[in-house]
Amino acid sequence: MKKILLPALLLLGLCIQAQMKSDDVKTFTLKNGMKFLVVEDFSIPNANMYLFYKVGSRNEYQGITGLSHFFEHMMFNGAKKYGPKLFDQTMEFNGGANNAYTTENVTVYTNWFPASATEVIFDLEGDRISSLSIDPKMVESERGVVLSERSTGLENSPWEQLSQTLQGTAFLEHPYHWPVIGYEDDMKNWKQADLERYFKTYYAPNNCVVVVSGGIKYDDVKRLAEKYLEPIPAQPAPPKINIVEPPQTGERRVMVQKEVATPYLMIAYHVPEARHEDYYALNILNSILTGGKSSRLYTSLVDKKQLANSIFSGYSESFDPTLFQFYAVTAKGIHENDLEKAIYTELEKIKQEGITEAELQKIKNQKLMEFYDQVETINGKSNNIGTYEVFFGDYRKMFDAPALYNKVTVADVQRVATKYFTRQNRTVGVLKSNTED
Amino acid sequence: MKKLKLLIAGLLLTMAIPAAAQGYKLPAYEKFRLPNGLMVYLMEQHEVPVISVSAIFPAGAIYDGEKAGLASLTATALKHGTKTYSKAKLEEELDFLGASVSTYASKESAGLSAKFAAKDKDMVLQIIKGIILEPVFDTAEFTKEKKRLLVTLEQQKESPRSVIGGYFDKLLFGDHVYGNLQQGKTGTVTPLTTADLKGFYSTNYRPDGSAISVAGDFSAKEMKATLTTLFSGWKKGPKTTGNQAGAPISKPAESNVLLVNKDDAKETTFIIGAPGIARNNPDYVAIDVVNTLFGGRFTSMLNDELRVNSGLTYGAGSRFNALKNGGSFIISTFTAGKTTEPAIDKALEVLNKLHSNGIDEKALTSAKNYVKGQFPPRFETASQLSGLMTQMFWYNFDESFINNFEKNVDGLNLDKAKEIISKYFPKDKLQFVLVGKAADIQKIAEKYGKLKVVEIKEEGKKGF
Repeated sequence: MKKILLPALLLLGLCIQAQMKSDDVKTFTLKNGMKFLVVEDFSIPNANMYLFYKVGSRNEYQGITGLSHFFEHMMFNGAKKYGPKLFDQTMEFNGGANNAYTTENVTVYTNWFPASATEVIFDLEGDRISSLSIDPKMVESERGVVLSERSTGLENSPWEQLSQTLQGTAFLEHPYHWPVIGYEDDMKNWKQADLERYFKTYYAPNNCVVVVSGGIKYDDVKRLAEKYLEPIPAQPAPPKINIVEPPQTGERRVMVQKEVATPYLMIAYHVPEARHEDYYALNILNSILTGGKSSRLYTSLVDKKQLANSIFSGYSESFDPTLFQFYAVTAKGIHENDLEKAIYTELEKIKQEGITEAELQKIKNQKLMEFYDQVETINGKSNNIGTYEVFFGDYRKMFDAPALYNKVTVADVQRVATKYFTRQNRTVGVLKSNTED
Repeated sequence: MKKLKLLIAGLLLTMAIPAAAQGYKLPAYEKFRLPNGLMVYLMEQHEVPVISVSAIFPAGAIYDGEKAGLASLTATALKHGTKTYSKAKLEEELDFLGASVSTYASKESAGLSAKFAAKDKDMVLQIIKGIILEPVFDTAEFTKEKKRLLVTLEQQKESPRSVIGGYFDKLLFGDHVYGNLQQGKTGTVTPLTTADLKGFYSTNYRPDGSAISVAGDFSAKEMKATLTTLFSGWKKGPKTTGNQAGAPISKPAESNVLLVNKDDAKETTFIIGAPGIARNNPDYVAIDVVNTLFGGRFTSMLNDELRVNSGLTYGAGSRFNALKNGGSFIISTFTAGKTTEPAIDKALEVLNKLHSNGIDEKALTSAKNYVKGQFPPRFETASQLSGLMTQMFWYNFDESFINNFEKNVDGLNLDKAKEIISKYFPKDKLQFVLVGKAADIQKIAEKYGKLKVVEIKEEGKKGF
């Protein structure tokens, strides 16, 4: 799956303590380095297990692009005890369902099941993590599946093509350069040896964080983890990614041809990773610009000036410096250059005049509601806790987030807008029918 | 991503089919009717300090008449300002509170969904009342909305997945109102005015025939008083103009193939379907269990054959879309243009296999476990529960449906499953819609039935 835009994921509320305390998350680490986070919640007779592997397309290189995502698929294609098809068949027979996704940074496996089936889920996971079998026949048919996944993405959304081109231009050296799904020719040429090495290196227990939430006791989770997962040996830490994208020193522009009703426009600025101190102010800025119909860009460009048919923006958590991206569809009869200029005018306004206290308070109120959404379900709990643990280095940071958001001032928001929304730091992409125009 | 949730816009709204886990019971709720006919449902849920509101009105696309898109635009325009608030002020107030209120129309009904912090309930409920009872249908706002919609309609033609459902419903239901296109077409949306919206609103938004449900962190006693005050002044509507959805749905007499040409398509996106069931069908639960096996989950017969065994597609599935008076059954998937024929043939082969081989005890047990096991998370949040209550109103079922679900699922045996297959899963006279490059696949399309070819960029009078 393509990078998910999930700003809501990390927008934790301001009175989180009232709902869930740091103490509600219990943890243990197996001898092989696999870390577990557990939240007991008996509100429904179900439970889940989220496994976050620290591997994504940033761990690839040209020649094996797309392999992380492909591997995600191969994890369902048979191991020693549960052969081909049996992982899904067994899970569904026991009332469970699953899915998985891959981003530039991580590969995440999600299992949802009746709490009474927890032991089966541990057995299934233990089997595939310890002894996945990479059957060449399965590799071939699964190759067709991911090629279809790539093709259907491109077939159904112009953003897919435009964002791939834009990302490849904004990142010239860092592995965020290529799409998560991979290059078509690489996809057709992954080798058995690549897959085997990938499994050994990245699917090691010490490269994984597991979150379990729902109607099961901590002691039972620990007992099952020790039984099914602790025997799996640890591996040496995966190689570090040394490439740092050099600073961009001038605006870059790209153009893509595709038959569309009106031009699609993307603008991307380099911004820091999740652990950077500017993360919270940038996140708030993102909401101020495009969160809801009273946001700056919607009000100005879609409603008042009618230059855009729609506009949104995204800034999500990452390990390495990433992009703050704007996506706009031009209104009928409008030239995309006029829309682009109008976006810059709005960004300049924030750089010059800042935002209002009322706007800042609005975003803080919205974050509280988003937080409630996240902790209302056992799945929201696992997703949030795991994300904080993996991207911020400690799930307890989730409980600091309210204070960190509250600390953000109007001046901070103005400062990050000024710092990152500069001409030389941006890449602009246009997709339209007539690229000669 | 491992799986694609097949979101097919324009298809009949599907009612989620709840299954029950061990002992799952619907939490207590109360309902009452105001003198003007509005049904109210209340359910206290105190886990999180939020409140969810769900409302349903008999104002869906089936009432569009010749003006396709009218119901949808009317629902959207409910938020274009009220007696008290301009559109901008309304959005600003809601955004400031972090509250969400959305209005929309589906095939049969229109609705409102809202979620807000419990402490803001007085303010937000006032706004909701204004949206439902006192919309002004501002002309300037409508002009902008329409302009955006017209671009969106054009844009959707860039995505086969976005338009295929509308083509299929038209092909299957023909002139019956279930064939109406929810979002409309360029030709029908262009002439619409706020006078049309006001007319549609005054005829179809009425307390009698509508319901509002509230779930979340509040006191039912106080909420009852609040809602009674807010909504008692809503006047009963004029005598109903008649719901044409009750008209008989004519069954297809032969297999038809609608080929929608998209010159730059690299894939073929297709639906194979037939008439389905109404929501009140007594076999509803049993049909869901059998469909789970056929095309409703990852290991289903369809996905196993088209994806896992052959790598022809990223995902294949099937579903019954059930409305009040009827519905559809569809198989949907997509494949590279050059594998169109094997993919369609495989889908048909799997359907034939369902009829000829049936299902076995182990598979049936698995499907039963699955629908039961996946049930409780569907009713975990206040929004899910308020939505369920309006569906109970709309489709006329009560908590016994949920509380007895497990029992009903368990009661399904192989004989009954066999009967379900032959009665509800089609064998012949199948209806096909293929969106793809006609120059490459027209010869193939002809194989499956009486062929009609249309251009994705054009729109005909009959909806094609």
